[in-house]
Amino acid sequence: MRQEDDDVMRNTTRTTSRSRRRATRTVAVGLTAVLATAFLGACSSDDGDDGNGDEDGNITLRIGLFGQFGYEEAGLYDEYMEANPHITIQQDLTSENADYITQLRTRLAQNSGLADIQAVEVGNIAEMTGELSPRWVDFNEYDTDLSHFVPWKVDQATDAEGRVIGLGSDIGPTGICYRVDHFEAAGLPTDREEVSELFAGGWEDYLAVGEDFMANAPDDVAFLDSAGGLFNAVVSAYEERYTNEAGEVVYQESEGVQTAWDLSIQAAEAGITDQQRQFADEWESALANGAFATLPACPAWMLTTIQSHAGDAGAGLWDVARSPAPSNWGGSFIGVTEASEHKEEAVALAEWLTAPEQQAKVFSNAGNFPSSATAQQSDDVQNATNEYYPGVPTGQIFSAAAAEIPSSPIGPNDQIIQESITNGLVTVEQQGNDPESAWDDVVSNLDNALAE
Amino acid sequence: MATVNTYPAPEQATTAGGPERGRKVRRNKAGAAGRQMHGGWLTYTILAVFAVGSILPLLFSVIAASHDNARLAEPTPPFWFGDRLFDNLELAWTDANLGTAMFNTLFVAGTITVSTVLFATLAGFAFAKLRFRAKNLLMLMVIGTMMVPPQLTVVPMFMAIAELEWTDQLQAVILPMMVSAFGVFFMRQYLVQALPTELIEAARVDGSNSLRVVWHVVFPAARPAMAVLGMLTFVLAWNEFFWPMIALTQQNPTVQVALTGLGQGYVPDQGVIMAGALLGTLPLLVAFVLFGKQIVGGIMHGALKG
Amino acid sequence: MTTEHRQAAPPAKGGAVPRPTTDPSAASRSALQDPKEKRRAERRSRRYRWDIKYSPYAFISPFFLFFAAFGLFPLLYTGWAALHSSSMLTPNDMEWVGFDNFTRLWDDEFFWTALRNTFTIGIISTVPQLLMALGLAHLLNYKLRGSMFYRVAILTPYATSIAAATLVFAMLYGRDYGVINWGLDLIGIDRIDWQAGTWSSQFAVATIVIWRWTGYNTLIYLAAMQAVPNDLYESAALDGASRWKQFIHITLPALRPTILFTVVVSTIGATQLFGEPLLFAGDPSGGTQHQYQTLGLYMYEMGWINRHLGRAAAIAWSMFLLLIVIGLIYWVITRIIGRSTGEED
Repeated sequence: MRQEDDDVMRNTTRTTSRSRRRATRTVAVGLTAVLATAFLGACSSDDGDDGNGDEDGNITLRIGLFGQFGYEEAGLYDEYMEANPHITIQQDLTSENADYITQLRTRLAQNSGLADIQAVEVGNIAEMTGELSPRWVDFNEYDTDLSHFVPWKVDQATDAEGRVIGLGSDIGPTGICYRVDHFEAAGLPTDREEVSELFAGGWEDYLAVGEDFMANAPDDVAFLDSAGGLFNAVVSAYEERYTNEAGEVVYQESEGVQTAWDLSIQAAEAGITDQQRQFADEWESALANGAFATLPACPAWMLTTIQSHAGDAGAGLWDVARSPAPSNWGGSFIGVTEASEHKEEAVALAEWLTAPEQQAKVFSNAGNFPSSATAQQSDDVQNATNEYYPGVPTGQIFSAAAAEIPSSPIGPNDQIIQESITNGLVTVEQQGNDPESAWDDVVSNLDNALAE
Repeated sequence: MATVNTYPAPEQATTAGGPERGRKVRRNKAGAAGRQMHGGWLTYTILAVFAVGSILPLLFSVIAASHDNARLAEPTPPFWFGDRLFDNLELAWTDANLGTAMFNTLFVAGTITVSTVLFATLAGFAFAKLRFRAKNLLMLMVIGTMMVPPQLTVVPMFMAIAELEWTDQLQAVILPMMVSAFGVFFMRQYLVQALPTELIEAARVDGSNSLRVVWHVVFPAARPAMAVLGMLTFVLAWNEFFWPMIALTQQNPTVQVALTGLGQGYVPDQGVIMAGALLGTLPLLVAFVLFGKQIVGGIMHGALKG
Repeated sequence: MTTEHRQAAPPAKGGAVPRPTTDPSAASRSALQDPKEKRRAERRSRRYRWDIKYSPYAFISPFFLFFAAFGLFPLLYTGWAALHSSSMLTPNDMEWVGFDNFTRLWDDEFFWTALRNTFTIGIISTVPQLLMALGLAHLLNYKLRGSMFYRVAILTPYATSIAAATLVFAMLYGRDYGVINWGLDLIGIDRIDWQAGTWSSQFAVATIVIWRWTGYNTLIYLAAMQAVPNDLYESAALDGASRWKQFIHITLPALRPTILFTVVVSTIGATQLFGEPLLFAGDPSGGTQHQYQTLGLYMYEMGWINRHLGRAAAIAWSMFLLLIVIGLIYWVITRIIGRSTGEED
């Protein structure tokens, strides 16, 4: 029944200039064939295979996700299955992208065990448009309407040959989240407009406010969580970051990286950070305890993060100001795998899940900001508010930010580069390392990590 | 198989010292063993400290599982149970689909245990007592794989699994772990000592073929070591994570795989994750408490004879 | 590597076999009986000869079938991949680079850091673990009330998965909100940033290992201690030897092979240490300055994060070769010790 998988795999495996070593594969096949004949009979009936249609044309579509996409929460699967009675949707959820992507890479590499629809985080999309592109269905071939997405989102999912392998689910336009109570205690304005004005001149202003804040704020409250967070906020607004249009790694020459590094070092040395690593347990606890007053890069989805960590005690304490340089942080794609046995149906489902109405629904249910420009303009999104953030026009704030997001080329190594730079900042922040030698460490680390 | 032995070390220790100790008559009843000296208060105090130290982290995980994120984040850590334990346990159970996962894991770990013990006993017997060509070379190969770092075998193993189209099916996890190099080594070391060659010869004189020898002589003699190996294998298979995560998905998970689906969302709920980890460990813990005496006895028995 | 131990320290000549039900001196006499066995075999039917000749292969074949597919094949594939430049994403596309991946490790500061960390974490996890296990076994060897309770209690960590254990310990070791720092604060000691420091982070990782394995090794030692005959202690006591002297002069020498085994065997575990440092902060680089990155973790980072399959394979094979070197050293030591105990006997 899986015969066609094999054919697809052979047809689509990219032949590069490198010599293809079939020998190892032959060994694998030979050895395993022995086992197959000996033991397959005994073991193959463990569980049913659900990827196939039955005689009535009923099919099951599997969708592999990580973290939170909000499809189930917004009731989209039920809605779709009701409208298409012959389709059953099965969601396969992994909590952490780190676990998820390890599995997805292995499976894509062998073209085996893939769900019909698989999600890809923006940090991994460049791998998928690169070496692994042939494993994905090209939405152009299915005449998918791509016009309603923000253009840079489509660009990110387009490979060198122009194939579009993923449809945008959400994006992460950023503002600056701040604690109203801490600002008040530090004698700073608390009104959203006024706070936005404080930062309007750029990130230097933000740092200046930070020094003011530290002078008057409660002792155990820092101005921002981490130097790495500031780095991310600053660098993301530049068009060229770690990789240029040609796909070359350029972080050492990049103006954005340089500026962001200098500002982050400045913040670290001024002692206005809480010296956290974002998303570590301790950072989460610090967030819940209000140990820092601002998050310089605060995308729409971060509001959900804050809410679940700070709990009831934190309700109404946070507000969102405009970022001096809004950017995008996070967001994902969903794509259809070539290995899928129901590509047509899977494409239809992926189109439907990422259509403007559905994206708007996901936003109001789970807080994931739409990647569809049409959805962003809809009343549902524009007028959206959030009970946990009373009076904050989240829809308007993030839509305005979304309009300013630059289109930056991303490369397959961007995550590694950013991770390494963040680590370098942590050593300056926490261990008081010399910034120059910290940067040298970053470079030597990356030289090693990126070398083939 | 290499992935099974993520930490093969202590098990091997059971084979240690056998030769030395073997000279003496075995005493296996704790009370009667060793010296007649009674422990003083200091002995009891130290033992109590270590017993508490062993149990405390587990107890802390139960406490953590009974709170929500906000409470866990407070500067003063919780030292007593909160009111969310059963909510969190229930959430973890349903979210992670732990019912199916437990059943799968029981099946997987059970099959792996039976086959590992069976095949290891057969091969161990052959290596310990039978003569055949290239025996030493083959044994060296067995030992060699024990030293291969398990993480990197994942890629070639997945190539094999993909070729067989077994992804996401339980045999993808079972088959690579059906035998264990450590197990063969363990049984060999044990049987060299514990199985007198005379017994085999006597059985042969009576006209038994090799299968009958195995059934009537080898298995009875190997029973204690088989029990120990079985227990070690079961615990290892139950807790195996890295390979099942690659080979299976949440559609058909083992317990450890199911737990990775816990705490979904941008914000995992630490309490629920703890509760899930607890539920995943619970069957083993219950077994240890119920059969602690037998397990401890088994390990010591196996170690003694090794 | 460990087979050599058995050959190096064979059962004492003609001594009693552990089990009373079995015939003594079986192992040592078997060699003499082989010719007789062969003669007897010749008188048997062809079927019998076939049985003798091929049944060993039948007994080892299930193992080797699986071993070939899921043990040998990965091992060889890994070795083959180590000679190529290859991406984790396309493991079938390989470019031959010879031994480059190995030679470059020589100049790879991160490899040496990982090797050093593996070594130090191995020492600080193995040495205290085995010493404590030895001490605990000694105490448990006394006549005790409720001794079974203590044995089961110290064995429970063994049932806990690495993931669950590390999750708990990471919470305990938190910088700002961890229980341990809270306790230090309480008694007036400065908080420690456990993850940031080299020694503190390695210590923290080591405690997870120690916690999980001490109880198990204790039971192994205890079993060995209980096999030491009482009369040795009795006569020593008559000579006026203190408990401590008895421990040093009777218990320890009797346990020497056991100890040696646990040491080497823990070394294998320590060399492959992976789960604990990975999950400690969820960081495959083992800390911002690689301060607790082990070889296993470095290999994982190289393969799964940086996606260089060939380089990761070279690291894996280096670990493999390292263990073989350790095995040789161990073999030499057992030879020496085996000879010296032989003299004592």
